[in-house]
Amino acid sequence: MLPLNYAMLKYYTHVDEASVDDVISALKDKYGNFKAFSKDKMTEAVMTAEKNGLLEETRYEYDKNHKVRIYYHANDDGTRIINSYIKQDI
Amino acid sequence: MVNTTTYAPELIRDKAAGDNAFYKRGIITGLFSGIFYGLYSSFCTLGMNSGIWAKWSAGAAGLSAFALVYLIGALGNGLNDSFSALWALANTIKNGKIKDFGRCVASKPGRLIIIGAILGGPVANTAFIIGMAAAGSIVAPLSALCPAIGAILSRILYNQKLERHTISGILICLAASLIIGIPGALTADPSSHFGLGLACGIVAALGWGIEGCVCGWGTSLVDSEISITIRQCTCGILEMLVIVPVFAIMSGGHGVGRLVVTGALTDPSVIFFIISGGIAFLSFMWWYKGNAMCGTALGMALNGTYSFLSPVFCWLIVGVIGGVAGYSLPFYDWIAAAIMALGIFVIASDPKSWSKKNKEAI
Repeated sequence: MLPLNYAMLKYYTHVDEASVDDVISALKDKYGNFKAFSKDKMTEAVMTAEKNGLLEETRYEYDKNHKVRIYYHANDDGTRIINSYIKQDI
Repeated sequence: MVNTTTYAPELIRDKAAGDNAFYKRGIITGLFSGIFYGLYSSFCTLGMNSGIWAKWSAGAAGLSAFALVYLIGALGNGLNDSFSALWALANTIKNGKIKDFGRCVASKPGRLIIIGAILGGPVANTAFIIGMAAAGSIVAPLSALCPAIGAILSRILYNQKLERHTISGILICLAASLIIGIPGALTADPSSHFGLGLACGIVAALGWGIEGCVCGWGTSLVDSEISITIRQCTCGILEMLVIVPVFAIMSGGHGVGRLVVTGALTDPSVIFFIISGGIAFLSFMWWYKGNAMCGTALGMALNGTYSFLSPVFCWLIVGVIGGVAGYSLPFYDWIAAAIMALGIFVIASDPKSWSKKNKEAI
């Protein structure tokens, strides 16, 4: 089993784009019982990955609660780096 | 880059507010890493000036001059980092991340953190102790080079932006650190090992710079609470099981090592190392996290406020509260602090965003 942060990053190498809500839905079954499995902490992890060039913003919109929902993707460089550091898949 | 031409102004504004909140959190995290660095080093200094440590310095136990500088210096670092590792492990267990800690240690990003920790921990700390002993306090301002080294390495290794205002800000912070360190260096008595001391000072600055860059970036892969647990465990184990025994052998044998380790652990002054270890755990965790959130240049400049805050907290905690003489703060340190604050402001503020705001206002 991958650490939660690794699983989040690895997920982005399999999808065209995803918001943090999408990541939460995708990983809920496996990681839902983790204390760190919270939207705030996962959003911070994704934003940190974006700041360091692993992920890239693709678009944003309001969700049904009128909160900004940001979509990210791993571009070719990001995918290459993530895959070179994290060999095991989700 | 997101194409925002079709977005409603309200959506763009709310998105920018979220980005700013993240950036500000990063700045506050980095700043607290500097404040807590100053606090931890003052408690460590207080411990090394109290109880059995003060008796050793006064000649009790008949420790040689070599043992007093190298063995005792390494033991102080080792105790602090070992207690820090225990705090970090306790926090990791409390937050349910201990299994992820095990998984990360065995992975490539975990090994990256371990290498950074070795270079910035035992290697840089030992080089700094040797440098200070060989060349005197001229080595201290050399450590101010580490934010510049970290920023340049981040540009090369991780393609992080190094704009003109960032370089200017780093130079201003470097000047401030030199103002703090140079006067002490000028009064130092250069020994015959001056060259070796300077070389060790540069090794220390390189070690800290590499650690800040590599581990800060590594924290975008590894959770910050886990990366700091890896860091403190690596440093504590290496310092107590390798560096201290090596200096003990060079000081006269295992007997000396056993004497000082048992003496330090059974003396009431150990409480200061337990406290300093807890504060160091938070300081280093926020250093890695701040570097990851703000980029290495700004993160390390924010953490670099320790070069002013360490003397401030040493003056308050060791001098005023602990009653140990020789920790008063010279006036030029306050001037340097103001210059350092200006340097951080210059790194953090992009002049391009000012002109954009002015245009929007027009």
